[in-house]
Amino acid sequence: MTALAEFRAVGFAYPASAKYRARPFRLADLSFAIAPGEIVGVIGPNSSGKTTLIRLLTRVLEPGEGEIALEGKRLRDWGRAALARRIAVVPQGVSREFPFTVEELVLMGRYPHAPGRYFENPADVRAARAAMDATGVLDLAPLALASLGGGETQRAIIARALAQEPRLLVLDEPTAHLDLRYQAETAALLRRLNRQRGLTVLLVSHDLNLAAEVADRLLLLADGRVARLGAPAEVLDEALIASVYGCAVRVDTDAGTGPPRVRLLYGRGVAGHV
Amino acid sequence: MSPQGRLALVLGGLAGLLVAVAAAALFIGSAPISPGAVFGAVTGRAAAESVERVVTLSIRLPRIVVAALAGGALAVAGVAFQALTRNPLAEPSVLGISGGAAFGVVIGQSFGLGLTVVQAVGLTGFAFAGALLAAAAVYLIAAVGRAVIQIQTLLLAGVIVGIFFASAITVIISLLDFNRLGGVIHWLLGNLAPIPPGALGLFALLLAAGFGLVLSHARELNLLALGEESAQQLGVNAERLKLMIFTGAALLTASVVAFAGPIGFVGLVVPHTLRMLLGPDNRLLVPTSLVGGAIFLLVADTVARNVVAPAELSVGVITSFCGAPFFVYLLRTRYRGAL
Amino acid sequence: MRAPALAVGVLLAVAPPAAAFSARDMLGREVTLAAPPARIVSLVPSVTEILYALGAEERLVGVTDFCDYPPAARQRPSVGGMVNPNLEAIVALRPDLVIATTEGNREETFAQLERLGIPTYLVAAHLVSDVTDLIARLGALTGRERAAGPVLARLERRIEAVKRAVAPRPRPRVLYVLWPEPLIVPGRTALVTELIRLAGGEPVTAGEADAYPRYSLEAAVAKAPEVILLANHGANTGPIDETKWQRLTSLPAIHAGRLHRVDGNLLHRYGPRFVDGLEQLARAIHPEAFK
Repeated sequence: MTALAEFRAVGFAYPASAKYRARPFRLADLSFAIAPGEIVGVIGPNSSGKTTLIRLLTRVLEPGEGEIALEGKRLRDWGRAALARRIAVVPQGVSREFPFTVEELVLMGRYPHAPGRYFENPADVRAARAAMDATGVLDLAPLALASLGGGETQRAIIARALAQEPRLLVLDEPTAHLDLRYQAETAALLRRLNRQRGLTVLLVSHDLNLAAEVADRLLLLADGRVARLGAPAEVLDEALIASVYGCAVRVDTDAGTGPPRVRLLYGRGVAGHV
Repeated sequence: MSPQGRLALVLGGLAGLLVAVAAAALFIGSAPISPGAVFGAVTGRAAAESVERVVTLSIRLPRIVVAALAGGALAVAGVAFQALTRNPLAEPSVLGISGGAAFGVVIGQSFGLGLTVVQAVGLTGFAFAGALLAAAAVYLIAAVGRAVIQIQTLLLAGVIVGIFFASAITVIISLLDFNRLGGVIHWLLGNLAPIPPGALGLFALLLAAGFGLVLSHARELNLLALGEESAQQLGVNAERLKLMIFTGAALLTASVVAFAGPIGFVGLVVPHTLRMLLGPDNRLLVPTSLVGGAIFLLVADTVARNVVAPAELSVGVITSFCGAPFFVYLLRTRYRGAL
Repeated sequence: MRAPALAVGVLLAVAPPAAAFSARDMLGREVTLAAPPARIVSLVPSVTEILYALGAEERLVGVTDFCDYPPAARQRPSVGGMVNPNLEAIVALRPDLVIATTEGNREETFAQLERLGIPTYLVAAHLVSDVTDLIARLGALTGRERAAGPVLARLERRIEAVKRAVAPRPRPRVLYVLWPEPLIVPGRTALVTELIRLAGGEPVTAGEADAYPRYSLEAAVAKAPEVILLANHGANTGPIDETKWQRLTSLPAIHAGRLHRVDGNLLHRYGPRFVDGLEQLARAIHPEAFK
């Protein structure tokens, strides 16, 4: 099966800014593929390159080395709108002063389908409403986004991404700042979208357990490089996690049932750093 | 109601109001002309060189057209700058362009380069040159050495350029001969005056270009509220959008300042009022601000030229008088138009 | 013998009407009218004064808010200020000529009037000779040449009287303060500079370019003026603050108590009252000559 998206030996470096880091951040030799219909979780410590990866995938940044391909075609050969019809990004949130309603937000997701159109047409409105229905925010449509709680806001933003009718849904830390309940809801929603619509999902998360719960495969990034790529059980290896994150962990597997769970060993265990 | 419906309704209402206000303004002025005489002049029945014909068609009518065009342009430029910088305080004068134009005019007026030279190039030419200089400076300061224009840098650059030109103007004024001072200060207060048809056509053309640039990107401006990165991920070319909007708004501002002097507050009062009525959708705000701004400045100018007749107040004085209290009101109430 | 006379008669009969009235203004521009001007709008207070002095006021249909002399001028319809006259008001008066100055009115105003088809006659005066020239021109413009003669003659006599009175005396250094804050003084092209000289003084700021340049207090002090004249501008500009000057006790003028006030309206305008101003200057500079 041809990969939906593929990174081939991609390298990237932010322009060196002495104020920010002791040494400039670099992504190096990044190679992996996303198969259609799968859920891939990208994990790793902060500044391991997770967000940079999303930016490279959506052409917000250009790689310094290597190639990225989407549906077999080089990313740089895709037009911006065409790319947005394939890949939709769910950012962490929107600014607090975002003034639009839920429906207006979701309709923005229709832009890539007809950038030249001034107002959205009835087909756009239908698609937006369907997307809102899928994430359960349809009855919140006329409300100002700023008036919603964290979970509802998240679902509204996902609805906007769905309105783009993408093949690949990319989520950047979807459960950061969310209550436990919404973490469960989000996980369920993603699984449903994946199973029922065949939507490919790329999920970037610092929450190892969420990623393990939802994803078919995990990509562990460390220092801008691929540390491991594979099934959750392979990637969530105690020694590997401990060395990448620099702390002691225990990985539990309820034999056979469900994904491995990572437990942080607060001040106890292996390295004895207390 | 769908956005299209709301736009049609409000735009229709505003357009009707504009026609009514313009017609009324034609009948109000310091020359004592009866309504019947004005009507006669408009319908072409007045004698060729009669007072009512000259006053109505050569003084009042051109001035009304200028006021409407300038007001609309300033309001649209205000919407554009506010959306671009995501800052509700952004106003055409904030980005230093009015300052540059004012500087150009002060240079032209104070060196009094002989009656003929100034007439040939026109103070308008000086003002426009100054405005373009300022706009280029602002853009270059924000752009040079970077791949991407940071909006905050643009705002800062605008403020700095504006302050620089304001200081330059002060220097020149402080050295200026007493007799020329009155004229320069008069210009700096912002005054509308009737413009000959040729110049008026040029003015309208420039405004149409600026307006077109802003209007054609109104939908993308909405997307900018998501943040530049998200907008790009939706397919918007953010760099090009910033350039187009800046150019359009700068063109509108420069033209108005060149032909009518620096007039403040229109770009603040009108967009925010309409935002309270219509919400934050720029596709509605841009066209309605054009008409709303026209009405606002037309009313302000009619007041300015009649309230202490035969003396005339500067229209800039009226807009500030109206604008300042309104701004206080805005600050104290919550409104959905927050950017 | 009758034929030539007949021919001339025929020629005169079919000749075009009397040549249009034409005059050259003080900037050298040719101003052409169909007939001598009968409805004049004056945008210059000095010009208004001169027109009244010449007895030509019945031709004056409009003035500015600043045309306050003679008092009768205030009864004339006003068209607004000097910098921002109201175009409608001007047009409504149906003038056939507008008289304006490049020192006080705006070029934009002349351009507008031109576009509206109203001829403008521009004036400017820097020297006494300009003022007398202006009086003569306005006389010609309004057909009051015969009145101009005596007016000019009277002015000339009074000027001569002043010159005679101050001639034998030494010339003190005179600082004239047009405006105290910011300090504005008369320069090379100001009428006041020449008047100070005629009044027997040596204007210390005569070397400055322009008519009324800014000046620093330091530079003024450095000139060590022996007489300081403070100009007031009429009832609506408040009393002059002399204390600032009284404190500069090192100045010869203050030391000798020679700080005087003069009426600016007489000295900054270039109407016929400049001789009143001249006499006032002379009395301030050489009081002993006029006992």
